Amino acid sequence: MTKAAGAHPWVVQAEGVWFAYREENWVLRGISLEVPPGAFFTVMGPSGAGKTTLLKVLAGLLRPQRGRVELLGFPTDKGIPAEVRRQVGYIPQQLGLVRSLTALENVLMGCLGRQRGPGTLMGLFPKEEVERAQECLSLLGIAHKAGERVYRLSGGERQRVAIARTLLQNPPIIFADEFVSDLDFLRAAEIITAMRDIAHQKGISFVFNMHELPLVQEFGDYILLFKDGNILHQGTAKELTWPLVQEALR
Amino acid sequence: MRRDLFVVSLLVLFLVLSLGQLGFFDLARLSRGASNLVLFSRETVPPDLGILPMAGQALVETVEMAMAGTILGFFFSLPLGFLGTRSFFPATFVVLPRLIIAATRTIPSLLWAILFVIIVGLGPLAGTLGLAVYTVGYLAKLYYEFFEGVDPEVVEAVMGVGASKLQLARFVVWPETANSILSQLMFMLEYNIRASSILGLVGAGGIGFYMQVYIQTLEYQRLTTLLLLILVLVIFMDYFSAWVRNHYLLVR
Repeated sequence: MTKAAGAHPWVVQAEGVWFAYREENWVLRGISLEVPPGAFFTVMGPSGAGKTTLLKVLAGLLRPQRGRVELLGFPTDKGIPAEVRRQVGYIPQQLGLVRSLTALENVLMGCLGRQRGPGTLMGLFPKEEVERAQECLSLLGIAHKAGERVYRLSGGERQRVAIARTLLQNPPIIFADEFVSDLDFLRAAEIITAMRDIAHQKGISFVFNMHELPLVQEFGDYILLFKDGNILHQGTAKELTWPLVQEALR
Repeated sequence: MRRDLFVVSLLVLFLVLSLGQLGFFDLARLSRGASNLVLFSRETVPPDLGILPMAGQALVETVEMAMAGTILGFFFSLPLGFLGTRSFFPATFVVLPRLIIAATRTIPSLLWAILFVIIVGLGPLAGTLGLAVYTVGYLAKLYYEFFEGVDPEVVEAVMGVGASKLQLARFVVWPETANSILSQLMFMLEYNIRASSILGLVGAGGIGFYMQVYIQTLEYQRLTTLLLLILVLVIFMDYFSAWVRNHYLLVR
């Protein structure tokens, strides 16, 4: 884990956060939460509840109008410095992969923040970065697809490439937006298991949203139940009761 | 549906009015023109093939001018288009590159060629520079529009790991838009070959120089030879660019 994350009890802390895309049309209404280091933190709620917005605000991609977000100990209200930005992994909903490049090339983009020399512009990456990228692909079980162009990969394989890219970036925290929603149940469970193992092994915090209840109950260390911009429940997976879920989905 | 009808009727009305204004419905004038056309076309056949060696050389010069102008313009239009892309740079920053792009595009290549004839003198160099400048204006505009079409999630994901703008261009923008970039480059080459064939009219070298001479000396059979040569070249370019597209562009 990096110094910035180790020095603080929380990797992310939000206090009374309000956010609106258009004036007074609040998507988040006074959210407060803490994500401890190494946690597997799940945000759950119906479609349109504001899950993606919450993730973007927590990841420092959007700035709240009221309240305060601290990411790795840095307040995000004035925009976070580039060196902190590099320590935050973010996997967007559509994954953000370059379709015409190979899986390995996409993973290698994870190291661009620390490899800014002219060599990379010619496609020449240091040997150790290439080895590390291949390791990340192996860890997710798709090393054999390293040379395949992304547009030829299946949905599940693409998901793994996106995770591998973020792992090569080596951040203490990764945000992943709805990233198993396009997969069937078994594939989704497989990928989340792989992610949880990696998270626990490397001490990375994962913050992600999804709405598949069995997956949430099985895998979430911490769960945030979320509806219409408000928190309905915050706690461990065991504390999540059926009436609470019913209320959220109603 | 009703709005479509309205727009179409407006277009038709505009067409009829402007044609009337331009003398399209002046039957006497049109019939006089038709007889002139018969006279003129009698004088254009058969083509005079005696000028082929000299015309061939001029044609090569024309192609060289078009190639050099297109490639030179292409090299400048890529970075200029990138700097003019709103999704990568602040709105206040892109104003200057866009102004340059718009200004170069406003002036047609023929006028640029005249300007360069004044600056560097008669000959193909002036033509090449004229084509290059116009190419920059045209391609750079298309390029920043392609670049703005790059999926913002991909840009966000790569900028998020701390990549530089140059790395963004190399690893996201180029691979995502290479197909469109190259296919427009081929289109521009075709366009510039047609354009360069008339640049000689202003003394900027190539086959256009002889066209102007033959028009002025009323040697229409020789002019026909030149036009046929240009036709062959344009057909060849059509096939060539289709071949390039099929063989070198990614199929997705």
